[in-house]
This record gives sequence, C-alpha cells and structure tokens, in this order.
Amino acid sequence: MHDIADLESRGLPGVFVASGEFVQAAEVQSVALGFAAARVFTPHPIQDRTDDEMRTYADEAFEAILKAVTNG
Amino acid sequence: MPDPSLAPLSDGVVAVLKRDCPTCTFVVPVLDELRQHGVLTAVFSQDDPQFPSGFDVIDDTDLRVSYHHDIDTVPTLLRVTGGVVTGRVEGWNQQQWQDFVGIEPLGAGLAPYRPGCGSLSVDPDRAIELAVRFEGSVLRSRRVEFASLEDEWEAMFDRGWSDGLPVVPPTPERVLRMLAGTSRSPDEIIATVPPDLVPVTVEKVAINAVLAGCKPEYLPIVLAAVAAACTDEFNMHGVLATTMSVGPVLVVNGPIRRDIGMNSAGNVLGQGNRANSTIGRALQLVIRNVGGGRPQGIDRAAHGNPGKIGLCFAEDEEASPWSALSHQFGYDAGVNTVTLFPGEAPHSIVDQLSRTPESLASSMAAVLTTMHHPKLVLGFDAIVVVGPEHARVFADAGWNRERVLDELNTRTIRPGSELARGVGGIAEGIPEHLASASLPKFRPNGLLLVHAGGGAGLFSAVIGGWANGTVGSQPVCTPIDSWR
Amino acid sequence: MALTVLDPSSERSITTRALVERPASLRGRTVGLLDISKPRGNVFLDQIEARLVEHGAIVRRYRKPTFTKPAPVDLRHEIATQCEVVIEALAD
Repeated sequence: MHDIADLESRGLPGVFVASGEFVQAAEVQSVALGFAAARVFTPHPIQDRTDDEMRTYADEAFEAILKAVTNG
Repeated sequence: MPDPSLAPLSDGVVAVLKRDCPTCTFVVPVLDELRQHGVLTAVFSQDDPQFPSGFDVIDDTDLRVSYHHDIDTVPTLLRVTGGVVTGRVEGWNQQQWQDFVGIEPLGAGLAPYRPGCGSLSVDPDRAIELAVRFEGSVLRSRRVEFASLEDEWEAMFDRGWSDGLPVVPPTPERVLRMLAGTSRSPDEIIATVPPDLVPVTVEKVAINAVLAGCKPEYLPIVLAAVAAACTDEFNMHGVLATTMSVGPVLVVNGPIRRDIGMNSAGNVLGQGNRANSTIGRALQLVIRNVGGGRPQGIDRAAHGNPGKIGLCFAEDEEASPWSALSHQFGYDAGVNTVTLFPGEAPHSIVDQLSRTPESLASSMAAVLTTMHHPKLVLGFDAIVVVGPEHARVFADAGWNRERVLDELNTRTIRPGSELARGVGGIAEGIPEHLASASLPKFRPNGLLLVHAGGGAGLFSAVIGGWANGTVGSQPVCTPIDSWR
Repeated sequence: MALTVLDPSSERSITTRALVERPASLRGRTVGLLDISKPRGNVFLDQIEARLVEHGAIVRRYRKPTFTKPAPVDLRHEIATQCEVVIEALAD
C-alpha cells in the first residue's frame, strides 16, 4: 500500500494485489495513509496452493486488475 | 471549565496543598484548628497523599481538582457553598484567614504572613500536558492518526495540507498552545471561507496557524486577517479566482508589531522574520485547507507570485515622518490594525539622484503610471512602500502623507490621447471615446502609502493591486485587539 | 509511536488523495510488476505477465527485497521512470 501510494504520488497509476486476508488491513491502512490505493483481492490461502491453483487465482483476478489501472 | 467527571466539592472550607511548599507545612497547625472547629471539609494534596499526616487527605497528584478550580497558589482555601466555589484565600495571611472562616484567633503565635508557593497545576513545564489532558475535549477537529511507517512531514504533504513548503504537525498540544493566543472560544465561527464557503472556527484557524509556523501571539492578527479577507469588501473569492497574479498582502500597524517582533526595516518584504513569514502564510493556508482554494483549482492565477505563500509586513512607524497607513482608514495612532490589500509581487522604484520632493514625486509617478500597463488607468490600486531615504526627501520639505499622495495622484494624470486603444501601435488601452479626457492613474484613495524598509538605499517599492471597487476588491483595514 | 494531529481542512471530504488518471487501455503501455517477495507470489505474477503480454502490454519485472517494508526509494524511482502503470503482488 505504501509503495502504491508513493508511486501514485509520482504520477503512476497502480494497483495492489493481496489475498482476502488483507481486506480489513488494507482498509485501515488506506485511512491512515490518507490514500485509498486501488486494491484487488484473491482468495485465501496462498502458501499451500499448487502452481495451477495460483495461475487460476491470477486468471480470475486479471480482469479486476485491468479495470483498476485503466479507465476503459 | 466544568468537567462532568469531576465530583462537586463538599460544602465548607477546602484546602489545597503541596508538601514541597514550606508555607503549606507552616499552616498545618492552623488547618488542625479549622478541623477542630468543624469547618474544614476536605484537604487535597498535589504531590504527596500522605501530607499532611493525620489528615484525611484526598490525592490530587493528577492535579485534576487543582486544574479545574484554577488553583494558582498553595496553600489555597476555597469556600464551597452548594457545591460551588464562592470564595478563596491564597498563601498564609492570618487576618485574611480569620475573616474568611469567621474564627478568631487562628494560628496564634505564628508569623502573621507568609506568601504561598506556585501550584503544580500552573507549572509551565506541565501546563500544556494538563491542558491536553483536561481540555483536549474542547478541540472538535477530526483527529488524524498517521500510520507508524509514515513520516509525519511527508504525510502532511500527501494529504494536501501544504502550500509546497513543510508545515508544522498540528498536534493537539500545539493547537492548544496556539489557542492561548486568544481569549476567543475555540468553537466560535469567525468567517465563511471561500471558495467552498465553509464556516471557520477559531480552532481551525489555530490549526492552520500551527501549520504555518506561527507563535500564539501572532494568532490575533491571523484571526483578524481571516475575518477581514472573508468580507464582501475584500472579496477573497475574487482575489483567489482571478487569473491575475495577486494574493492577500497584509500590513500591520500599531504596537503589536514591536510586541511580536515584526520586521519593518531591512528586507521588509523579504524572508527572515518569523512573524512576517508565517502570518500571511497562515491566512493562505486557511483559504487552501478550509476554503478549498488551490492553485489550478479555483485559484486560476496564470502566474501567481511568490508572495502568495504569504506576504505580511509591518510599517516602520517609529522612524516615519508621517501618520500610519491605518490613519488613512481612520484609525488613531496606537491602534493595532491589519490592512489587507490584493497585491501582486512588489517591484522597485530606483531613484538615487532626486534631492527635491518634486523631482522624487515625478520620478515615482513615472514608475507608477507603468503599473500593470502604461495605457491602463483607474482600474487598479497600489501600495507605495516608501523607503526611509526617499521618505526623508519628502519630510525635509515638509510634505506630509496627504501632500505626498496628492502630488503622486496629480503627477500620474495622463492625457487620454496617449492611452487610447491603438495609440503607439499598441492595441491595449482605454476605450477611444475617453481619448479627449485627462485621466488619473488611480481612483480617489486608490494609492496607499507605507513607510518601511532599510535605512540605506534610495529606493521604494510598488505593490500593484487587483481590479478595485465593488467589482473587485476593496482594501480593508481592521482592528486586531478584539481578537486577542 | 504514531503521531496524532488535528485535521486542518473543512472535513467535508475524507482526507484522501485522488487516484491518478488511468490510461484507457494497457495496450502498448509499459507495466511494472512489483513482486513483494512473498513465497508463491512469483507464480501468480508469471501468469499475470503472460496475460498482460497477450493483452499487448510491455512488462517489466521488479522485486523488492522484503515484503515487510516499503520498497527502497531507488527502486520506486526506477519503476516510476521506466513504467507507465504498476501492479504490486502478492500479499497474503
């Protein structure tokens, strides 16, 4: 979140991708930072997933990521 | 300040003491007498709940009771009637104590008089801590907590609270300290700030004064300036929204200049003096943060000017041969005032050769006629900041403020034939139907005179204005003391 | 300890910055993928990269040393000067 907040302040559109565990933490942090960075959440957990499952997460998140950094 | 969490005192006589005070120790036998007479209902100790021994002492080491009952000195006796303090005596004075409790004699054999000691609740080292603890609730503004990884200075830039320079973090402690600069209540609404037309409280102004770097003693000037800027006459909305380069310029008159250490001498329009640099900035931060007026937003200035960070200075009244600028607005000498003028960046008048007032006036007039454009007249006011060496030329000839203004006004009258559109191959100018008239550069009272600057240098400065009168902005001079 | 300050603004809006302007599409744009260095994130980002390339974007990969701290300033500067869009992943 800090990185995206900083990169946005340098004029770069950004999105932060995290697992669903992060929904609340991201909310709290965006209030504290005074900046609501674009966020996309994948299902949780991550660490015990197979590579195929991780690719599925990526495929499922892709449209949301695209939407978060474009206005098309 | 009433505190709902504070239990009312029991009726009778209440003593507030601290062990560390020799006078408190000294009066213990007298308190014992009061107890035997049945008038002493409570004893509070500020530093040691075991003191005085043998008494049923109430612990006030957090100073809550002392703070809320404005104990300045120990020992203090309070008379409490119906839960309300109705009288008090401080220190030890045998006659006063006897009169206060209606018992005679008291403290027989003791020295009749001993001054008290300072109450811990007014200890300067603890005053702010106590104010935050007991009065923090008077501050209504939203609390913003920075994340632990955030650098607080960067965080304030990120939130858009800065004009581009660092701002001081407005902690509750700093804001309470700032508010000590005025007797006004923090929740008093003092103006409606453009462009968003937001009612602004004394507290919000104080927060922005902290951001700007002001000291508490500057706050009355900032409050006066905010109130004056937001009047219909000054028209801060227009001054902000114009594409011209102007911003509010503040000129301070009266003894407050000296009291808070403002600069009216060398580099008067420049950097280096905290009061000069921060008072005007505080006003601009109020416009930005409370009013929502931001460059390239509602602030449409094509170029702006460096003074829009904040431009505030004092008139050198002590060395001036003339009455003060505030006198031009009808205020007597000695009245603290701040004058707001919608001004562009200052520029110089260089004349190092004129030895007569006539020559110098003509010289200044020649520069003044070029202000904004040599072919434009009557639309703009100006402040002439006359340097001491130039002022001396006028003063030696006996020219007072009115005379100088008259001469400058007369010498800036131009034939319309030189000003009309197209004349000199320049499209800009006045409408052709005015070409047969003689036209003054300035409207009546459109020129303001201020005496300020360093003692060496045959220079003055001009601060050009914005569209004047009811369509634009009217300079406003306002007293400061009611904001103290 | 986190510092608490008083809001100097009108409090009419929450104290947040707006997001910067987004491009209409990522086609032909340079997109930075910032790996925060959590295990498994690279698999996720590999797939995102493949999809972006399919989409017509130019992808550059970055990796910050540790997910526990903000990226070093020179890395952020590098991303800001080399990319037009950034995607940071994957926190869990």
